[in-house]
Amino acid sequence: MGGLQKKKYERGSATNYISRNKARKKLRLSLADFRRLCILKGIYPHEPKHKKKVNKGSTAPRTFYLLKDIRFLLHEPIVGKFREYKIFVRKLKKAYGKAEWSGVERLRENKPAYKLDHIIKERYPTFIDALRDVDDALSMCFLFSTFARSGKCHVQVIQLCRRLSVEWMNYIITSQSLRKVFLTIKGIYYQADVLGQTITWIVPYQFTHDHPTDVDYRVMATFTEFYTTLLGFVNFRLYQTLNLVYPPKLDGQGEFSFKSECEEDYALESESYSEKLSALSASLVRTVPSVDEEEVELDHFPVEGEDLEKMEAREKIELELNKQKKLFEGLKFFLNREVPRESLAFVIRCLGGQVSWDKSLCIGSTYDETDETITHHIVDRPSIDKQYINRYYIQPQWVYDCVNGKILLPVEDYFLGVTLPPHLSPFVEESEGDYVPPEKLKLMALQRGEKPQAAAAEEEEEDEEEEEEEDDEEEDDQSEGEDEAEDEENLAEMEAKRAQGKSLSVKVTPGKAKPENRMRAYQEEKAEEKRLAIMMMKKREKYLYDKIMFGKKRNVREANKLAAKRKAHDEAGKADKKKKKKKC
Amino acid sequence: MAAARRHKRMAASQPGFLPLKSNLDGDSFNKKLRKRVNKNKKKNWNKFSDIQDVEEFLDDVRLQERATGGLISERTDDSLFFVDIGEKDEKDKDTQPQTTEKGKRSKPLRIDLILQSNSHIPAPKNVLAFQQPNAKKQRRTLERVAKSAAKGILPRREKLLQLRRAAAASGVSAKERPEAKNNPNRAFYDLWCAGTPETADPYYLEQTKKKLVKRPDRLNEKPSVLPAIEVIAPGGSYNPDFFSHQDLLREAHEVEVKKIKVEEKLARRLAVKEDVATAESTFKEQVEGLIEEEEIEPEDPEVDTEDTVIGPTATQEKKTEKQRKKEKAERIKELQRKAERRVIDKRQQLFQLRSISANLKKQEQRTKMRQAQRKAKQEAQKSMPRRLGRLKFQTPELDVQLSGELASSLRSLKPEGSILKDRFLSLQKRNIIEPRERAKVKRKYKAKYSEKRAFREIQ
Repeated sequence: MGGLQKKKYERGSATNYISRNKARKKLRLSLADFRRLCILKGIYPHEPKHKKKVNKGSTAPRTFYLLKDIRFLLHEPIVGKFREYKIFVRKLKKAYGKAEWSGVERLRENKPAYKLDHIIKERYPTFIDALRDVDDALSMCFLFSTFARSGKCHVQVIQLCRRLSVEWMNYIITSQSLRKVFLTIKGIYYQADVLGQTITWIVPYQFTHDHPTDVDYRVMATFTEFYTTLLGFVNFRLYQTLNLVYPPKLDGQGEFSFKSECEEDYALESESYSEKLSALSASLVRTVPSVDEEEVELDHFPVEGEDLEKMEAREKIELELNKQKKLFEGLKFFLNREVPRESLAFVIRCLGGQVSWDKSLCIGSTYDETDETITHHIVDRPSIDKQYINRYYIQPQWVYDCVNGKILLPVEDYFLGVTLPPHLSPFVEESEGDYVPPEKLKLMALQRGEKPQAAAAEEEEEDEEEEEEEDDEEEDDQSEGEDEAEDEENLAEMEAKRAQGKSLSVKVTPGKAKPENRMRAYQEEKAEEKRLAIMMMKKREKYLYDKIMFGKKRNVREANKLAAKRKAHDEAGKADKKKKKKKC
Repeated sequence: MAAARRHKRMAASQPGFLPLKSNLDGDSFNKKLRKRVNKNKKKNWNKFSDIQDVEEFLDDVRLQERATGGLISERTDDSLFFVDIGEKDEKDKDTQPQTTEKGKRSKPLRIDLILQSNSHIPAPKNVLAFQQPNAKKQRRTLERVAKSAAKGILPRREKLLQLRRAAAASGVSAKERPEAKNNPNRAFYDLWCAGTPETADPYYLEQTKKKLVKRPDRLNEKPSVLPAIEVIAPGGSYNPDFFSHQDLLREAHEVEVKKIKVEEKLARRLAVKEDVATAESTFKEQVEGLIEEEEIEPEDPEVDTEDTVIGPTATQEKKTEKQRKKEKAERIKELQRKAERRVIDKRQQLFQLRSISANLKKQEQRTKMRQAQRKAKQEAQKSMPRRLGRLKFQTPELDVQLSGELASSLRSLKPEGSILKDRFLSLQKRNIIEPRERAKVKRKYKAKYSEKRAFREIQ
């Protein structure tokens, strides 16, 4: 019996984990290098379940890694490069200290460098894997590309980030895959649908940087180093899928027209070219000359029941998508100089619109303000001196709301100097019974194709009257969406008239089965079934059911309360307005 | 020294040796009286042996060598003497005018002539200067190279040189310098294209480091289920809906209230109690024992005198045989009774079946509920930031703009918060990096501030 006494901390979790310092020593790296390596290889610290055991009885808070992870790191070739780099720095320091300038030069020429390609391939074995993880990469690249070249990070990194983000935007434009935009107090959130993957990223507003001090720039720079490599490869592949030339090249005609304009403003040829690319106003060269994209129709399979419903739903979504892609087709936009140019140009071009701006604002403008064919002029100031009669002067929010609503919204709410309707988040999906803001309800009604005027007229009678005169003028000009709606209305009216005429001429009407009755019967039957089902429930299930229903009802009640509150708030606001008007 | 002496003797013994100096005689040996000295010490050898003659002889030898390039006695007669015919003058005359014709320039300066060495003995060579270190090794390597060259194998350096030359001729730089990762113009390629599959043995490839070790699948799991980009609540819109904005504000408000509560609690705990020491109370405290002592003192001696034993005494009387037997019987009886009771209880359980089953059911239900709870907790844990280091993850403050701060248009919008910080915290929140704070600068010595006199004067 007996045998050797088991020692503590020699088996189990104590041997599965390794503390950071030990791992660092095992790899023979400095802490900074170790951190860098972990970030690049995607090795994350772990929180062990029994900390005290792992910590060999001590309760000091430590960072732990899995021992197997660290063993895996031992095989990484980059570790050797890190050590080489350390030696390089030491030699360089020495050469500087001894003022051996030729030695310094020689060392600099042979500076060790490493590549991350194999790590990307290892971490993302397939392209789709990489695409799924591109959210972070995009946000980081867009963020770094807006940094001032102030020495917080290498200028080259900023340039690379800028290049990659511009490439990405160009891809989104060409593939028309932008779905949602949300302007927030932080930055602009975009959502795109790329090869079936929903990708969200955030772009900061321009010139907003005060560099926070409590952020570790070295860590962020390491992440950026990894993400730029990832994004580069992803971009390459994405361009390939669209048969675009990589690195992106501008289409021939566009390029020609640019050359004449403001070549002298940019010293370097390469610089001016990248600027033109980032202007986002011209399309890109394809390797295979683009054929006009035919409508891809969904395959139809004979299906029944639920599948059919799903199919229909899918078709509907597809249709909606196609509509959204071509929302701005045929529209010509002009951006005034105070609006965020890049974001607007990006969004407008994504939906197939044409866009231009003042020549002095940025390189790459395609037409002047005086162009008669411009349909929308985007302005963000209370008033403008010189107005053209045949275009709408609207505020930038209209563009974003159109993207989110997937329809061309009525422009009246977005005219110059008008108080804008709230910019709703497209990322919220209300479930049944939640409070839905009235603006969203209006939008949903519009999407269904109902006429907005009826609802709007009731709400703001007096305010509308003043604006109506203007509206009429504008409406005459044209807006395609509204025209269609109007046509429909006319048709309905004509039909009604016809029906009336018929009823006058024929006195005896044949009896007809009422379809409503059948519907009702069906509904009743369903309700009855439900009631019976509830009756048949087991006690416990019944209890659960009651609970769920109660929760739903409570939600509805709360939503109603909020809606009532809102109404009261609106009325109070109106009353205030009226008072003010009277005073005036 | 010994060699020199031998030399001298040899020379002296030779019949044809002519000393240059005439005063070198054998008589000088006998002039001084020899002192008897022990010559068993080296020091005495030098001190008391007369080597004058040897020195002189050697000097003479050196002189001869210097002046003529060898011992005169060893010279042949022809080299010492010549037959004067008288024709030589003419030849000299023929040659001399040429030199004079060339001018004074060709005539060496006198100073140079003085400095010129007139010795006929060549200067001794510095042997070390001509010695090559590692000569043997080098010779061998050379031999080896020559041998391999004969076979047609070039040394590595030569090969590289040739390669470089060939590359330069074809216009491609031979050595591809590793490109910096952050080069803004770097090229990308299709990383995920299906290349030719490796045919070699994977074990061989792994061992020779041509193939990387397979990444374990465990590493491809994300440490948190949170999305990379968390979209701000609808109230964060630049032009929000009134109620969603209020919602966001309320949320921020609640966070703030909680924080204040914590602070207040801390302040309450740390607050100084009401009864602050006054002069009177301190005096009382100081005097406390002194006044009462007098009253107690008389009691104390009594206590001391009362010789009481505290605690139980160890002595216990022994049990008698009878007692012990009785106790044993009692014990056995007790055990029997208990066993009987158990049997009865078991039988009784038959009638309690319903309640037992109810109990069981209840227990089961409880375990199920606990399982569900545990599972829910685990699920929730997946999206929670873990404790990964010294610091805990602190949820950042919500970025909100008050109703008054909201911009009326996109142009006048003032962005709130920093996206860089957001990203950094998001990485921490998703357990990708451990929470960190900026390292504080630690001073070894406390900074000392002093006002300069000039500054003081102004004030």
